[in-house]
Amino acid sequence: MTAPDGYTAQHADEDEALHQEEALQGRPYELAVVQHGGLFRDLISDKLGIASFIFLVTLIAAAALAPWIAPESPTQGNLSNAFASPVWHGGTWRNPVGTDWQGYDLLSRLLYGARTSLIIGVLVVVLAGTFGVLIGLLAGYKGGRADRWLMGWVDVQISFPGLLLAMLLIALVGGSVLSVTIILAINGWMVYARMTRGVVLSVRERPFVEAAEMMGCRPRRVVFHHILPNLSTPLVTLAVLEFARIILAEAALSFLGLGIQYPTVSWGLDIARAGDHELFGNQWLIIYPGLLLSLTVLSVNLLSSWLRVAADPQEREKRFASRASGTVSGAAGGGGAGL
Amino acid sequence: MRNGGSTLRKLTGVLGTLLALSLVAAACGGDDSSTSGGTAGTSAGTNGSSPTTEESGAVGTTVATTGEAAESISIVLGSEPTSLDPHLVDDGGERAVNNNIYETLLFRTADGVLEPGLAVALPTQVDELTWEFSLREGVTFHDGTPFDSAAVVASIERMVRLIGAETTDNAGYFSPLARAEAVDPMTVRVLTSAPDGLLPSRMNWLRIVSADAAASDDITDAPNGTGPYRFVSREVGVAIELERNDAYWGAEPDVDAITFGFVPEAGTRIAGVQSGAYDLMVNLSANDREAVPNAAQVAGIEHPILILNTVEGITADVKVRQALNLAVDKQAIVDAIYGGGATVDAGQVLSETILGFNDSLEAFPYDPDQAKQLLEEAGVAGQTIQIIGESGRWVNDGDLLEAVASYWTAAGLQVDLQILEFSEWLDVFFDTESQPDVLFVSTSLDLLDPDKAATSIHSMNGLASGNDDAELAAMIDEARSELDANRRDELYQQIMASANEKAYFVWLVNTADIYGLGDRVTWTPRIDGLLLVKEMSVSG
Amino acid sequence: MGRYIARRLVQGLVVILGVSIFVFVITRVVGDPVKFMLPLSASAEERDARREVLGLNDSIPIQFGRFAGDLAHLDLGESTYVRGEPALDVVFDYLPRTIQLVALGMLLAVVGSIPLGVLASRKPGGLVDRVLTTLSLIGLSMPQFFLGYILLIAFTVKLQWFESGPGPWRTHLVLPALCMALPAIGRLAIVVRSAMIDELNTQYVKVARAKGLSQRRILGVHALRNAGIPYVTLLGWEMIRALAGYSVVVESVFNWPGLGFMAKTAIQHQDFYLIQAIVLVVAVIVVLLNISIDIAYKALDPRVKLS
Repeated sequence: MTAPDGYTAQHADEDEALHQEEALQGRPYELAVVQHGGLFRDLISDKLGIASFIFLVTLIAAAALAPWIAPESPTQGNLSNAFASPVWHGGTWRNPVGTDWQGYDLLSRLLYGARTSLIIGVLVVVLAGTFGVLIGLLAGYKGGRADRWLMGWVDVQISFPGLLLAMLLIALVGGSVLSVTIILAINGWMVYARMTRGVVLSVRERPFVEAAEMMGCRPRRVVFHHILPNLSTPLVTLAVLEFARIILAEAALSFLGLGIQYPTVSWGLDIARAGDHELFGNQWLIIYPGLLLSLTVLSVNLLSSWLRVAADPQEREKRFASRASGTVSGAAGGGGAGL
Repeated sequence: MRNGGSTLRKLTGVLGTLLALSLVAAACGGDDSSTSGGTAGTSAGTNGSSPTTEESGAVGTTVATTGEAAESISIVLGSEPTSLDPHLVDDGGERAVNNNIYETLLFRTADGVLEPGLAVALPTQVDELTWEFSLREGVTFHDGTPFDSAAVVASIERMVRLIGAETTDNAGYFSPLARAEAVDPMTVRVLTSAPDGLLPSRMNWLRIVSADAAASDDITDAPNGTGPYRFVSREVGVAIELERNDAYWGAEPDVDAITFGFVPEAGTRIAGVQSGAYDLMVNLSANDREAVPNAAQVAGIEHPILILNTVEGITADVKVRQALNLAVDKQAIVDAIYGGGATVDAGQVLSETILGFNDSLEAFPYDPDQAKQLLEEAGVAGQTIQIIGESGRWVNDGDLLEAVASYWTAAGLQVDLQILEFSEWLDVFFDTESQPDVLFVSTSLDLLDPDKAATSIHSMNGLASGNDDAELAAMIDEARSELDANRRDELYQQIMASANEKAYFVWLVNTADIYGLGDRVTWTPRIDGLLLVKEMSVSG
Repeated sequence: MGRYIARRLVQGLVVILGVSIFVFVITRVVGDPVKFMLPLSASAEERDARREVLGLNDSIPIQFGRFAGDLAHLDLGESTYVRGEPALDVVFDYLPRTIQLVALGMLLAVVGSIPLGVLASRKPGGLVDRVLTTLSLIGLSMPQFFLGYILLIAFTVKLQWFESGPGPWRTHLVLPALCMALPAIGRLAIVVRSAMIDELNTQYVKVARAKGLSQRRILGVHALRNAGIPYVTLLGWEMIRALAGYSVVVESVFNWPGLGFMAKTAIQHQDFYLIQAIVLVVAVIVVLLNISIDIAYKALDPRVKLS
């Protein structure tokens, strides 16, 4: 999760640390998982889940295909075609969602904006996740001094004012997809390290792992056979939540003018442009990218709550039990934290 | 369960403490603002004892209804002055505030013509390097010190000293100044280090401080001028208050008190004018003209322009440079991007009222077909052209560049428009070794004179020049040291014609300064961009 | 306890030093405030001379020595943007307005989240619950700057109920505080709600009900306290994020002249000294808040050992 730190105090033990990480993600949110079955059946039965799933798949497909399906290049303007109306306001299919003051086709900009958001989101999650998991494995597995130093590093860096430093770095090196990705990854790997370390410590204490180690199993084998399988579920859940957070972070940086720059298209940048230009005029130019951005993050959050429940047997049972007793508890993602 | 109650108490305690901390902080801040509100009330001569904080707009209304003569005005700027020292910084916010506090030897009319100010007449030339000013009698600084030649000498020498110490940003305006000497208490001679036809204009820009103040290197905290308004208070980040100087030597201004506010985003400024919180806002975008009660427009001094690299690359060919000009529909840019808040430049970087304007030159017409044809003739159709630009420094600069890029793409080029962080753009701007194909800059006609535009972007020795035209550079040097106004005019006309003939630039527009006015204010904006409140009047 | 706090303070000191050194090194290696100080027409010589005056031409270790020496006297140098003002003074000029914003925002968040959470928990799965939980989720999925624009368009541009920019809090601070509070209300209400649900299902509450204790008493005394620990912790984090991150965005949208607003300006002008001072002060506040959260934890739940 994204919360700043300082909650080491209450960790009575490492299992509790893991538990706390979960608690940060917010408490369960209701999801009507009707019955056991394949993951997909689960999803189908969850209305919000399936809606977000369909939305995200469509968005990803549209973003991937943007160069082919976008009506125009997002940076090819035409001043004589500025402020064209969307189709549902009497516009033409040439610009289905209308155009802005440059005559840029809005649909094309929305599609390319999705591309930027998703690419940065995925890249940052992969980069930060890989690095964080490696550090976490190292700290958890080596223990002792390495653990203290590595986790000390995590503790210190997690207390840095992240957004300020990201803004500063981008102001100094310039904003591009590459720089924003790297800077957000530098800012975001710590949660993965924390979580991985927690899992490693809890798994290592389990009898079968202790036994395996005593029997002389190679560390690599222990990591791959015992630790990684236990890591996958919390890791995927965390990665999805982080994905939502990164999308918001990129948008916030670009909004502040310290992120993505022309000619790359970003929803955050488009909202800032429209906000400067059209606060008193065509406010839909602010609303559309904003809505799409919000919907994307909402869908990722909804999907992650579904995933948490569906992929975690314990959660499923809780869900089942609580359904039976008429109470509800499900997972509301704690994403959306910005930076 | 037994300790349930005590846990609850603790919880309430902790929550309470966290909130109390915040509230204490909030209350402290609250005190600040109510104090400043109180000050505003006092300075406006109204219910200063009222404990409630009212916005200045509301104060004005109260005054109007009670029929008292006291009238205040609230002006919102785009940025806060970075200093109130009249000599240190070069910043629009500072000028807007300080030009109501400080005055200069020469004034300008609203149309930009030099006229007497603290000097009773335009200067006379003693020799090539020496100019003599006769000073106005009966002028005093706000602290009561009389204005005399000692103050003028001290002000000029302070500027020279600050330039020598590298602590002022205004070296560009005043570097030709050498020293000043007092002939008698009401006569001053100003000496330059080289013949300088611009000296009278410079003396319209140099604010006169008292001899005492001039001894200090930083007088931000104690503004003390001869102007129609005196400094009252400042709340950093929020407001600066001025009140009328009743001992002012000139005509009594209509407005009694001024509040300057600072809001970077135009939308917020507009909303403030709509609600009556502000009477006057700067930098109104022409598209938002309808959003405010009144809008006033005047030709500004900014000319955004594209500097072409005439030495190498795709733009070395004059045909390409002409094509780039022909491909852009300047009028459409004026209409769509600037909403009419700009005029098309007539194939030169000057506007009509400026010395050196050549009225035989015209803007390149919008002729995409000929542009395409020229590009094909030059054999560059489909090639990549790089533009280095930035966004956010000047009015609609990013939008302007994007529109140009669209036009050039339509003409058959691959446009690589790079909108850089301002600091990165500066790196390119300052790099004299390598030059991009196209560099965007906005030239401002400081001192309402062509000198800076000529030396910085026309002359091959200039910071951001794209050509290696020695002949043109020589002409510019000659114009610089020429003292005769007619001859200067002629020389600059030739310079403009020569640059136009070789299409050294893509000339775009002259952006207008547009001000949003509330219902209460009457004012005609000035061509030099100064906000002189003594020229404004306010009605109930 | 004392030892624990001492250790956390030492750790905090490491954070603060780490941040300071990090900011120092990257600004000195990559940045140049002189670019922003002098007008465009200034020559390379003038710029170099100004760098010399500011001591920026010295080698980085020498500059660092000077920086560390001054820091020991809490002197962070003079701002290059707010010309000649000591950077720390500028920070303390702007900080109170950020604290006002965060305080009002958090107050609204508390006032909003507790009733909403309690309301939602009364009939879990019911209409009210579903609506509230969905709204919470939407609230925390919405980028704050977009939320800010929606508020601005609705209440400033269209209805003209509130204004933006600097001004008295009743007219100018309510909207930005609301923008800060809404996502926090979503997150906090969820905590209240789940804690309440868990609690209402426990045996003793059922007993209490059976004994005829009023609903209000059950909610107030027994259930709410269960929510206390996660609630206070989360509230603390919300404050930290609000101070160290959200304030930049919210203050930019609403032109509220607080520290976040100044931070953006300082960064855009590469004012090293001011950036350094802002980051330092923010880091100190964050460290202190973090320690307070831990102590609050301890105070609320005696079972927690501060180790």
